[in-house]
Amino acid sequence: MNAEAKLNTGKPAVIGKKTKPKSLDSRKARVGYIFVAPFLIVFLLVYVPIVFESIQYSFSYIVTRNSGGFDLDFVGFDNYNEALFINPDFIQTLTSGIKQLVIDIPAIVIFSLFIAVVLNQKMVGRTVFRAIFFIPVILATGIIEQIDISNAMMESMESTIDTGASSSASEIISVVDVQSLFTNMAVGTQLVQYVVQIVNDIYNIVNRSGVQMLIFLAGLQSISPAIYESCTVEGATAWETFWKITFPMISPMILVNSIYTVIDSFTSSSNQVMSFISTVYEDTASHSREIATAMSWMYFMIVILIIAAVSALVSAYVFYQRKD
Amino acid sequence: MNKYDSLSDQEKRLKGKMQKLEFADKLSKAQRLKLRIFSGYFLTQVVWLIFRLVLLVGVAYIILYPFITKIAGSFMSAQDFTDVTVKLISKYPTWDQYRVVINENRYFEAFFNTLTLSLLCALIQMTVCAFVGYGFAKFKFKGNNILFLCVVFTMIVPHETLQLAMFMKFRYFDILNILGISSSIAQNAVANEYGIVTSAALGDLPALMQDGFINLLDSYWPLGILSIGGLAFKNGLYIFMMRQFFKGVPDELEEAAYVDGSGVFKTYVRIILPLSVPMMITVFLFSFAWQWTDTFYTNLFFNENVTWLLPNIISVPKGLGVDPTFSAYNLYKSAVTNTCGLLIILPLIILYCFAQRYLIQGIERSGIVG
Repeated sequence: MNAEAKLNTGKPAVIGKKTKPKSLDSRKARVGYIFVAPFLIVFLLVYVPIVFESIQYSFSYIVTRNSGGFDLDFVGFDNYNEALFINPDFIQTLTSGIKQLVIDIPAIVIFSLFIAVVLNQKMVGRTVFRAIFFIPVILATGIIEQIDISNAMMESMESTIDTGASSSASEIISVVDVQSLFTNMAVGTQLVQYVVQIVNDIYNIVNRSGVQMLIFLAGLQSISPAIYESCTVEGATAWETFWKITFPMISPMILVNSIYTVIDSFTSSSNQVMSFISTVYEDTASHSREIATAMSWMYFMIVILIIAAVSALVSAYVFYQRKD
Repeated sequence: MNKYDSLSDQEKRLKGKMQKLEFADKLSKAQRLKLRIFSGYFLTQVVWLIFRLVLLVGVAYIILYPFITKIAGSFMSAQDFTDVTVKLISKYPTWDQYRVVINENRYFEAFFNTLTLSLLCALIQMTVCAFVGYGFAKFKFKGNNILFLCVVFTMIVPHETLQLAMFMKFRYFDILNILGISSSIAQNAVANEYGIVTSAALGDLPALMQDGFINLLDSYWPLGILSIGGLAFKNGLYIFMMRQFFKGVPDELEEAAYVDGSGVFKTYVRIILPLSVPMMITVFLFSFAWQWTDTFYTNLFFNENVTWLLPNIISVPKGLGVDPTFSAYNLYKSAVTNTCGLLIILPLIILYCFAQRYLIQGIERSGIVG
């Protein structure tokens, strides 16, 4: 009404100025900021300062003032030096932790993909199995994980079940058993050891692959059934269908899951490097907290490198379906 | 006669044909059955079925076995641990472990403290992550991608890296240095004015002024603030999940709402949120459960002398009357620890029974695509 009245007065310049509608996109962009605002504000006001202070602390000693508050003494690379060259265990823990990780990541990703494919098929009792398989996601975390690590009872229970006489108590299968199985095949001993290690670590791997299974299941559900239908019509076997259809279609999920697995196992408290750092943090020695912070920054740099390497490696094989 | 003959002939021929047909049918049925059973396809199918069943049952056993042993152990009395014949089923079953742990380790106090904390965090996180995730999914604004990279960054940084800085931040809480500027001047005044009052009257208030700073430790504030920003434990993952879910919601739905004159926020509340209930329940379940069992943040921000939380109840209470000189003390100790663990996760088990349907539904419908 107002605009119409102005139109009649014949002042196009004013109309242009006053009623020029903002484009829907720019208005939507503004609303977008409002939606992201909670994250943005706290991120800038609390998180970014925390990150910078953390870097700052790793280069200094904290001295608590008697009158209250605290001062920072800048000491350069002293904390890093202490961590790398004076602390006897740090580098050793770091290398063995990373080695363990390199073993675990492919095992977790492959295992969770396999289970997700199986759980995606129609069968009797599927809901029951699904409910059981996602129990560890909810229940085997945090404090329960910590209880399980040092659990004398479970170990003794396992050893009573285990009947393999020659192997040590808590192993499900021993290297000797598998090697006798594989001696006639031309399989390297390293591969055998790898498989044995994984099988004996199966509880750990099952516990840690819950979220990955969920992500894979979601990915499998999003593949159109029409593709499978046309495949069966053309006479493809299940094996072919898996490698020609399921695997390429799920490959973006494999990327997501490998990165998630790296992050998850690096940041979980059951990780040996993490627990080492937290014991250093709780140590009563002077400036142990600053040293622990320095250690964890170095650790973080390695995490970033590994994530970059993994994503570069996996994304070379990822297939993206064009949706037009 | 001729007619009759021809008829009977025809009949006979017909009958013969039918018999033949029946015979052929029977034969082919038997043959078909034979073929079906002994064909390669059927065999692989059966082998695969058996393999799948064995595998699933095996893995389910691996998952459930620890719970079974824990539950079995929680009903054992001290005598059972010295008896070699006792494996899983107790010979002298007793409720003592539960009774004494609940009474002496102040279970209910810890339970309600943790319940308040987890409910608070989970509700805030669910709301905020959905809100932020929607912003990332549906609006194109400058810096959208960079901000989302920030979300991923918060996921990658290990907690231990920020442990000290977080502790210091909330111990000497002072956003934008508001207090810091005046602190040197006001310090003495504050100390004089509040010094006595804080310890006495404001004892249970979180915002204690101490040495010119606000000490937020031992309150729900640190985790509350982090939750409001979507920066608490694993919140990056929740934002990611919500974003992927909202990306799968067709734009036409919102456009229709806009055309009908509904604003962006109204559309969000009335159209989008009801759609995303399974996903929100999933996020709620995750954040509730992970906050419930979390030890990192609770150790960092809470002192067990002030706020008694569930992770603190893990210890062998004296009331059980078993001292460290007992021959099977290690076993007994881990059994009691497991009982504490069971008591901690009992509410989660009940919650999971009700909510697992939504968990799988929410994930399945999210259509997460990298």
